[in-house]
Amino acid sequence: MRALKIALLALNGLRRSPLRVTLTTLGVTFATGALVTMIGLALGVQRQVETPFRALALLNNIQVKRDDDGGKKGPPLDDAAIARFEELPGVSVAYPDAHVKGIVVRYGDKKSPGIGLAMPREAALVNFADEIIVAGAFFDESDQPEVILGVEVIKNLGFKTPQEAIGAQVAIEASTALEDGAKSPGPAQPLKVTVVGVYRAPALMQGTAAQQGIILPVELMKKIPSTSLETDWKVLTALGSSAGAGYPSVTVRVRDPACLDDLAKAIGDMGYHTQTILSKLQHMRRFFLAIQLLLAVVGSIALAIASLGIVNTLLMAVLERYQEIGLCKAIGASDGDLFVLFLTEAGIIGFLGGLTGITLGWLMSLAMEAAATAYAHQHGITGSLDLFAFPAWLLAVSLGFAVAVSVVAGIYPALRAARVDPIRALRSH
Amino acid sequence: MIIPAALLLKLAALQATSSFIETRGLSRQYRVGPAEIRALADVNLQVPQGQFVAVLGVSGSGKSTLLHLLGGLDTPNAGSVWVDNLDLAAMSRYQRTIYRRTTVGFIFQSYYLVGSLTAAENVALALTFQGVYGAERERLAAESIARVGLAQRAGHRPSELSGGEQQRVAIARAIVHRPRLLLADEPTGNLDRSTANEVIGLIGEIHRELGTTVVMVSHDEEMASRVADRVLRLRDGRLETGDAAR
Repeated sequence: MRALKIALLALNGLRRSPLRVTLTTLGVTFATGALVTMIGLALGVQRQVETPFRALALLNNIQVKRDDDGGKKGPPLDDAAIARFEELPGVSVAYPDAHVKGIVVRYGDKKSPGIGLAMPREAALVNFADEIIVAGAFFDESDQPEVILGVEVIKNLGFKTPQEAIGAQVAIEASTALEDGAKSPGPAQPLKVTVVGVYRAPALMQGTAAQQGIILPVELMKKIPSTSLETDWKVLTALGSSAGAGYPSVTVRVRDPACLDDLAKAIGDMGYHTQTILSKLQHMRRFFLAIQLLLAVVGSIALAIASLGIVNTLLMAVLERYQEIGLCKAIGASDGDLFVLFLTEAGIIGFLGGLTGITLGWLMSLAMEAAATAYAHQHGITGSLDLFAFPAWLLAVSLGFAVAVSVVAGIYPALRAARVDPIRALRSH
Repeated sequence: MIIPAALLLKLAALQATSSFIETRGLSRQYRVGPAEIRALADVNLQVPQGQFVAVLGVSGSGKSTLLHLLGGLDTPNAGSVWVDNLDLAAMSRYQRTIYRRTTVGFIFQSYYLVGSLTAAENVALALTFQGVYGAERERLAAESIARVGLAQRAGHRPSELSGGEQQRVAIARAIVHRPRLLLADEPTGNLDRSTANEVIGLIGEIHRELGTTVVMVSHDEEMASRVADRVLRLRDGRLETGDAAR
């Protein structure tokens, strides 16, 4: 109750200089707005960068390569090696990395080029589908011939919406570019598959080949009819045999990212070079953390400058209400009461400035996103860019920080108010 | 830990005195630059409980200083000041705040009302620091403002009130917590004769009804003599002997 009464008194005090208090609060508003916008941008960009990794469940992957350090080659990365990886506890699947270019999808009289990506059917167990599948679903674990196509591919095939493509039978074949640029058609029996899903790559990947993926289960990828020339996959298949030199790269997907390091070490002990996306991501996170800290420091400087306005406003208030402070002391206010009263006034300025600052930051982010999206559209990137992230903790911390900085700024004026000599104050005019 | 105000004050009462107010050799000097100004010198005074004392004197005679010392706003350089068995000179700053909060009501010449608060809010302001809140606060403030005859003007701000009404609000604020000691510093100094008479009459009524001990500083001997039980004169910081009691 006492706190409420002091807060009401503080509000009454602030009401007496509306223009000055409004200008001071605006200082805090702009500083908090800048702080929230800058950190929100850093967090948003980080999220945008991380989303593809999460969406494709890459954080569970270990990239395995043949160790050829110093000219001494390690064991081959062939099918036998893949089988050994899959036997390791915690490994859900291992498969050679196959990005086969020169794949053509046909639907009726329409066709679309694409990039073949082999994915294990077990990937349905991770969060791939939730993040980027815009229609249909990931592969079921049956042996049905299924495919997931990028939005650009289904557009080329004449589907108006992603949903329309679900269930459609498409034909897939390889057509490898000859060195002279001529196309060699595939054999007469292309691979018939059913479209079970359509994906859209995250915003920042738009406008790139990322939308042209043709995702096939690993075993189906091997069945793509080859051209008279060797397809990329044929080369890969040859590499996988014990007679070949091995695959250039194999992906090992683990069930729990917590086991990633242990399994990477186990595979490393088998003589292979390993790399995890998670470790790369952690390096990137450190970079983003540094950026966020830098922006937070810049925002804090703005808030510190705004706090000077609070000091000034409250010092003026102490001077203007000098007699009133003396009176309050005469009628029983303690030094502490006056200290708390002025500190509360500072806190209220900080709270109001913080709240309006967060709102301003949010509005600024909307405007900046709209501008960035419009710019991106001009450069062929479709969809809206979601550049800012405002997690609840950022809003709470920003508001708390604005209040804390304001209260700290209020300490000196509050001390001045607390130290007022009532006799001198009551005699003053 | 919150120490009850009454307990704090009892702890401060080291010695009982027979009078409600008692000063012994009370002196107060101020240093203004190199010069030392003697405001009060060796003032010995006893005031029984419930007495209305008027202190007369010209400007600079030490009247207000005496009032400030009795109200615990100031501390003496020498001597002692006892009120209600409390040795104010021995009290800490905080104890004197508690003393003002519980025992003293101040009325000033310039009213010192907070311009942004209504009359009722100005009266209730004193209760905020007393720790009285809610309905009790509203009730006490309304009672007090009704007592000074301003119930109809309770919602008005000081700028909407006349000088006499403003001083009535200040009186309501001074008595809202039923203080045992009312200290009035030239309460009619800013008022015309007729309004001054009304205000002095009101202070006299409150004194009689509540049995409050009143020390009023004035330079208007005729007006002071009309309501005071006893008139004291200060000259150059010294209390003139032979004070007049009615």
